[in-house]
Amino acid sequence: MEILIILLPLALALGGLFVWAFWWAVGKGQYDDLETPGQRILLEDNQRTVQHKKD
Amino acid sequence: MSTCVHCDEAATYPYFQTEDVAKLRPFCCVGCMTVFQVLHSKGLSAYYDIKNNRPSFKRRSPVENKKQEYTFLDGQDFQKEYVQHYAEGRRSMDFYLEGIHCLACLWLIEKLPEFVEGVVNSKLDLERSCATITVSENGLFSKAAIELNELGYRPHPMRDRAESSAMALEEERSSLKRIGIAGAAAGNIMIYAIAIYAGAPAEVAVFFNALTVAFAVPVLTFSAWPFYQSAYTSLRNRRLSIDFPISVALILGGVMGILNLRHGQHENYFDSLCALVFLLLLSRYFLRKIQENGLRPGDMSFLHQSETVVKKNSSGEFTEAHIRSLVAGDIVRISPDEFFPADGIILEGSSRVNLSLLTGESSPVKLETGDAIYSGTQNLDGDIIVRTTLCGSESRLGSILRQVETGWASRSRISDFSANAGTFFTIAVTLLSLILFFLRYPTDGFEGALIQAITLLIVTCPCALALSVPLTFHRSLSLAAKNGIIIKNEVALEKLNSAENIFFDKTGTLTVGHPQVENFECLRSDGATVEDAVYSLELKSRHPVAVALKEFLRPRHVRLLEVSAREEIPGHGIKGMIDGNMYEINRDGVFRNCSLVATFHVRDLPRPESTKVLRELMNNHYKVSVLSGDCQENVDRLATDLRLGPSFTTRALLRPEEKVSAIPRNHSVMIGDGANDSLAMQQASVGIAVSGSMEVSLRAADIYLVQPGIEGVAQVMTLAKETMKVIHRNLVLSVLYNITSVGLVFSGHIHPLVAAIIMPVSSLTVLLSSFWGTKQLRTLWKS
Repeated sequence: MEILIILLPLALALGGLFVWAFWWAVGKGQYDDLETPGQRILLEDNQRTVQHKKD
Repeated sequence: MSTCVHCDEAATYPYFQTEDVAKLRPFCCVGCMTVFQVLHSKGLSAYYDIKNNRPSFKRRSPVENKKQEYTFLDGQDFQKEYVQHYAEGRRSMDFYLEGIHCLACLWLIEKLPEFVEGVVNSKLDLERSCATITVSENGLFSKAAIELNELGYRPHPMRDRAESSAMALEEERSSLKRIGIAGAAAGNIMIYAIAIYAGAPAEVAVFFNALTVAFAVPVLTFSAWPFYQSAYTSLRNRRLSIDFPISVALILGGVMGILNLRHGQHENYFDSLCALVFLLLLSRYFLRKIQENGLRPGDMSFLHQSETVVKKNSSGEFTEAHIRSLVAGDIVRISPDEFFPADGIILEGSSRVNLSLLTGESSPVKLETGDAIYSGTQNLDGDIIVRTTLCGSESRLGSILRQVETGWASRSRISDFSANAGTFFTIAVTLLSLILFFLRYPTDGFEGALIQAITLLIVTCPCALALSVPLTFHRSLSLAAKNGIIIKNEVALEKLNSAENIFFDKTGTLTVGHPQVENFECLRSDGATVEDAVYSLELKSRHPVAVALKEFLRPRHVRLLEVSAREEIPGHGIKGMIDGNMYEINRDGVFRNCSLVATFHVRDLPRPESTKVLRELMNNHYKVSVLSGDCQENVDRLATDLRLGPSFTTRALLRPEEKVSAIPRNHSVMIGDGANDSLAMQQASVGIAVSGSMEVSLRAADIYLVQPGIEGVAQVMTLAKETMKVIHRNLVLSVLYNITSVGLVFSGHIHPLVAAIIMPVSSLTVLLSSFWGTKQLRTLWKS
């Protein structure tokens, strides 16, 4: 049972870390738009530049 | 059949881009073709590669192209309200964009800085169809707006970061935080609770118990706050909502847990309570999300009426302005097809005006110089100049809107069902706890009896019901949304279920809302030539009859013929020379060289599905009637057309107030589209606005049909019936579970471990029942 002395704080610290991370992410607006960023990443790199028309 | 290259709509009578025959592509309309050409000329053809390789997630419609200058966007006064400022003189404005539907749109919009001068950043929120455009110090918003318009996304400026939207965002974030905390705590508590149940040694158990209390405190305070709040407000309004027993259970559970910890006992209900808080918050969050999704401006047709007016400025020129800048006394020019932005008097010109949305009258009215016009009516065929007399909320439309808004605020939006269920549960549970307390007091003493009474309160908390109701509604609402039925409030479903009388508006609801051709009859053998001639002659006319004729003839593969000496005679008809013959079209028919060659009738015809939908409703024992503002003759004609028999009642010539008095407050449904229906929609227990309704009707309605037509009405009635069936079934399950647990408590068998098993099991049963639905719901889900 002595192992609890290490495991418990470890578990609590890990849990706390995730809660903190979630809190931080929500506060930063990471959850404000769930649709667009997921779609945006699908765009191919080579489509990211416009083939400028020669004037 | 070919589909439009740009919008993927069926191009039944395709337009072709004719410049390069080798690359012939079909388009459904000129608008889509124009956008295609614009994209090509700008080197943005990759749009189509992206579009064709990715599924789109919204249905889109053909592009309606309308040139606009958007100069008002650059005005100082306008920017004061709409613009946000950043460092180095950068400014940003939010636009709602029409027609956003897929990844390619995202690609295109975010490319904006690369081909529009002055734009430094452009970011699109696909879900909200909202783009944030940032321009440099010297950049012009009008340039970006013109470009967006050209690309087929008509932009509507949105007031940036208005206080309300910032608050909504803050609320959304804090509810996410509440859910997160509850979820994390519930998960962690489970670990220690299981250890305790499994028989952890006493010294460890005490420590674990303390830990569960530590986890539960933020959940029972921070996360559960909305329950306390809503219980408090409903108590203040002398009502018992379902949140009240939940709050009582949570508070008592918390107090008991802490007391037990002090006494060294490790019995508490924190594992069950935290899990329930988590699930309850989650289900309510989902329900709210689906409601918000439905209310997004993208699904509201009112935005599609332009917000731009052409106004005479101080130097006497006509320039574009935003509709909000209009004040009484302004001179505005109204083009055909536009809606009047304010009440006023015609200074110059004459035109036919469509009053149907304001009065229900189906035939267009001819107005001349000096006549009064009202906002919310639509100009049909001539350019006119108007001096405004009453603007904004003072106009006739504005005053209806005001009445609707006050009525809406005072109207009860509380679900009768969950309120009743809450009352029932609370009273029953309180009584049972008191009985239990007095039963046990003689044997177990004060504290023992109290703890048992509290235990009863906790285990009978109607959480299962509170969980299943929002989830069932969530499912039905998202199903409805998928079928183009936007339900603003789940209470509407409940009220639909108890509806007995259904009232329909006539013009625009049961009928199409604009004149259509019936019985076009050619009296000569060369019918095709006559049709071609009629089409060619009417091609440029905006007269309602001409529009109806063109709409009727276009699907018949008409050819365009050369017309000379074309002349439109106001109030009479149109004539012109085609192939050496003099054609004339007037109210009596089509004439060639003064002899009658074809006859036709034009009137506002009923929608093709009207009879079917009404008959279905009548077969389901609803009383169906029509309330119309139109004249008796037209209403009688509709009744004859629909062939529904004597039980179908109609009333004509009703003013908006008379419609209201014709509708009972309870068990009634009103379906309509115009401003003249809006008060009636609000009076009825449920108001349904059909597609193409005015803003004011949309505000008054509880349900909005996105797809044209009234088929949604029958669907939503079925949906309401089936949804309430599921909810009632869940109520029965919930009561059964509670009877069991009350029995267990009275017989002294209850223990936190039993609760930890029974509570999730009961929630799971009702959840499964919600997802299982009914046979009819399952077929609806599948389709």
